[in-house]
Amino acid sequence: MLHFFYDGFYRDFIVLMLVTIFVGVAFSSGLAWAVDSHFGETINQMIGDHGEYDVILHVREEAKEAALRELERISEQQFPGAKLNETLTIAGQSNLFFGFPDQFKTQETFAGLPSIFNGVPGLNGYTVITEPSILIRGVHPSVRVELQERFAAVAGVKFAFRDGLNMLVLLDSIDDARSVSAEIKQSLEEYQILELRFPMGFEVDTQQIAHDVIDLLSDKLGSKKIENVSSAEYGEDLDAFLKTLVEMRSFLLSYASKVRIEAIPDVHLVVGEQIVLRGMGDVDPYVADEYADGQVIVEVTSVQGAEAEGMIIKGSIFDATDILRQDGFRMRSGGEIGHHIGQVELENERYRLAYTINESLRLLEELEELAVEASLAVANADAIMNTFQEALMQLEVLQIQMRQLSEGISQGGGQFGSEQLLVSLLVNGLMKNLAQGATGGVSDDSLDSLENLDVESMRLSLSNITEQITRVQEIDVKAIIAQIEYVRDSLPQLDDEEIGKSIRLINTYLGGQVIPGERVQLLVQNRIIDEKELEPQIREALNNPYANVYLTSVGMVNPDVRSELFRVLQEIRATIAGMLAMVFVMAVLILDHATIFSTLKWVRTNKKGPRGRLRKLCNPIIGFGGFTGMVALVSIYLFSRAEIPYMNPAIIGIIGCMMGCTIVVFAEKFSPIHSNEIMAGQALGLSDVQIMREIVIPVSRPGLLNMLNRWKQRF
Amino acid sequence: MLEIRNLTKHYGKQIALNGFALSVKRGETVVIMGPSGCGKSTAIRCINRLTEPDSGDITLDQRPVLTLSSKELRELRRNVGFVFQQFNLITRLSVLDNVMFHLVLAGTPKKIAEQRAWAALDKVGMGYHGHKLPVNLSGGEQQRVGIARALVSNPQLMLWDEPTASLDPILVGEVLEVMEELVRTTQTTMLIVTHEVSFARKVADRIVLMDAGRIVEEGPPQLVFENPRSEIGKKYKRLIAS
Repeated sequence: MLHFFYDGFYRDFIVLMLVTIFVGVAFSSGLAWAVDSHFGETINQMIGDHGEYDVILHVREEAKEAALRELERISEQQFPGAKLNETLTIAGQSNLFFGFPDQFKTQETFAGLPSIFNGVPGLNGYTVITEPSILIRGVHPSVRVELQERFAAVAGVKFAFRDGLNMLVLLDSIDDARSVSAEIKQSLEEYQILELRFPMGFEVDTQQIAHDVIDLLSDKLGSKKIENVSSAEYGEDLDAFLKTLVEMRSFLLSYASKVRIEAIPDVHLVVGEQIVLRGMGDVDPYVADEYADGQVIVEVTSVQGAEAEGMIIKGSIFDATDILRQDGFRMRSGGEIGHHIGQVELENERYRLAYTINESLRLLEELEELAVEASLAVANADAIMNTFQEALMQLEVLQIQMRQLSEGISQGGGQFGSEQLLVSLLVNGLMKNLAQGATGGVSDDSLDSLENLDVESMRLSLSNITEQITRVQEIDVKAIIAQIEYVRDSLPQLDDEEIGKSIRLINTYLGGQVIPGERVQLLVQNRIIDEKELEPQIREALNNPYANVYLTSVGMVNPDVRSELFRVLQEIRATIAGMLAMVFVMAVLILDHATIFSTLKWVRTNKKGPRGRLRKLCNPIIGFGGFTGMVALVSIYLFSRAEIPYMNPAIIGIIGCMMGCTIVVFAEKFSPIHSNEIMAGQALGLSDVQIMREIVIPVSRPGLLNMLNRWKQRF
Repeated sequence: MLEIRNLTKHYGKQIALNGFALSVKRGETVVIMGPSGCGKSTAIRCINRLTEPDSGDITLDQRPVLTLSSKELRELRRNVGFVFQQFNLITRLSVLDNVMFHLVLAGTPKKIAEQRAWAALDKVGMGYHGHKLPVNLSGGEQQRVGIARALVSNPQLMLWDEPTASLDPILVGEVLEVMEELVRTTQTTMLIVTHEVSFARKVADRIVLMDAGRIVEEGPPQLVFENPRSEIGKKYKRLIAS
């Protein structure tokens, strides 16, 4: 095959390849450049020239006119000379450009953007696009102030300011962008955030964990610049929300009626299965019946052997006071009742809670009345004690008088006879009566014991009781009652069905979410850490195999909006160039090279006649075609600075090779040759290059080969 | 002048030439005849290596043809005229250009080439059609242009590969007349493959009959056609008699 090129056609071929590559590069890069510049111009029209606008205000479409008026007012009153422009409205959101005059492009202005624009009607937010600037995304709050000061001190930086979680570094000139960006990146690389995450359910003392890990790292890295920067500010919203949902689910589960299922032998329950019970209704469930109103459907939430737990998802036992124990039946799809599965016990927690609260309220009310009654009772007792004490004293006096009288009578010597005896009997009888009246029927000894009664001690006890009652009365029972009533009224007015639905809804949401656990963030400075190496050590030190270690940067340098747009455009340009290179090479292979390939194939076939299948497969022309396609495509691809995603030059080379091989295989279909004329040329003593130039190429498809051949063609 | 020895050629499993051997003297007109597929065309195409033989030996004027370099082969081909069955004219070129272009490409000044081309065209009666394109000519006329193209370089050997086989019977006569005239008026050695028995009888110094890739009989026309030894010769005799 190479013989065909020896007598001069190799020069034509090399020229063709060079021109192909040159034209291909011009074609693909030229068209791509045209597309690039067209879109670039469009973007310039959309977002203004470099540095023209500083802020894009995103405003609801319906409020656009009012927003424009307000921005004009801001412009006139606060920033005379400011530029205002309206651009695209996308999905009901208008985008308004606002550019500060140069004298107002200060740190104070940009730091105060929220207050400047907070009065704009319909404002949904804004994006800072001031240029030239460098955007640093996700700056960690722990180093924000420090970094802001450092960046502001970099040569070529006007100032730096915070924009939400990001930081913008405004430059003196776009020419400084590269050097400043490099310096900022270097500064950012000095810091790393070492993050420890624990799975949900691991309640850990984050302070202690942080302390332990700092000790470990200090020993390991010999660095003292490690500090605990765990913060709730840093993207915690979702975490908090998910945690709230988990807590809410726990609360609802504890608030819902308790369902315990005892399955009969041979019945195996599975989580998610539904069981129907009679509930508070009148209709008992029977096999093959339909679900009836009033019946309760329970969903199994956990199973342990023959026992299971569940929750009510349909129906309610809101007015059940006692524990219900009913027969449960499987619920089939379509609402039909299935086989008996065992006994189901339902306990209405909400009723118990409500009952307890009501009883507590009753108790408090009774307590208040009890205190009043007790106070009155003590007062009465005190009065009785006084009366009793007086009576006791009078008795003693009387007893003394009677004793004296009795003694006087006895000393009279019996001269009075019967009168004396009578008085003596009367006095003794009177004394007994007095004693009985005072003590409830006691003897002389009892009267003595009455005398020995510790009335003072009793009075002291009564006094203590009085004090305690007074303290009880001082308690603001009304306030307690009011608060308990408030708590009672605050409890969710949900029945079991609503609770079940809520729990299922929460489960559905949580099912698609990674529930975060505890998190500890440590700021490490001036040290490079290998997280894979560190993780097992931290797990061992904390004795917690579930601790996960991640390393994140404290911020990431991003190009500004315009640079980002132009970077995207650059990618589009490179992709278009790559695709055009492929199209061009395919066209050249079909229009030009197919002619050469088909001629080579004819010459080869004619020279030695038909060949075997193996020799056909080992056809060097296919290899030549593959090589040609590969060289052409790779060269054009590289020289036109094309770049198709996921396609490196090696893949492009393979594609070019496959294109070339394909064209060789179908060369005669793309460019049929006039074999009789070639044979005539051979018979007339023409060289191969003359045959190509005078016979083959002139009648080939119009293309580069045909065009170049005209310079050499003599007929 | 031309010596062919033990020439073999296979097309796949099919044998086209099987020990073909022929010797042609300078100025001799040899007509090769035989049934279709017997290897006549292959034999004469091997002489200027339009078809490469598998083995054998060919010498032309003492020069071994099969071992010639590309350049030498091109030189040889310029001295060997070849007339194709299908005319094989360059369709995009005029009649005149068809006849002269290989002279010019070989280095002959254009004017001289043109004069020689006109002369060759006049010789075959096609001078009037010099500026026409081949597609505007009849088959016979195209073949006459093909003959002129072969003649223009004054070849020492003319190879004719069934020059009338593609022609309408009405047009065959005009080509045969030209050929007869050329045989009569030139001293060029001619090797003609044809099925035209009467033409062969008229012009041939020697008839070579082929079958299955080898020569089965050869000799003067009178001898071959009147007292044939081979089956092919006998068939031709019967054909002439009918």
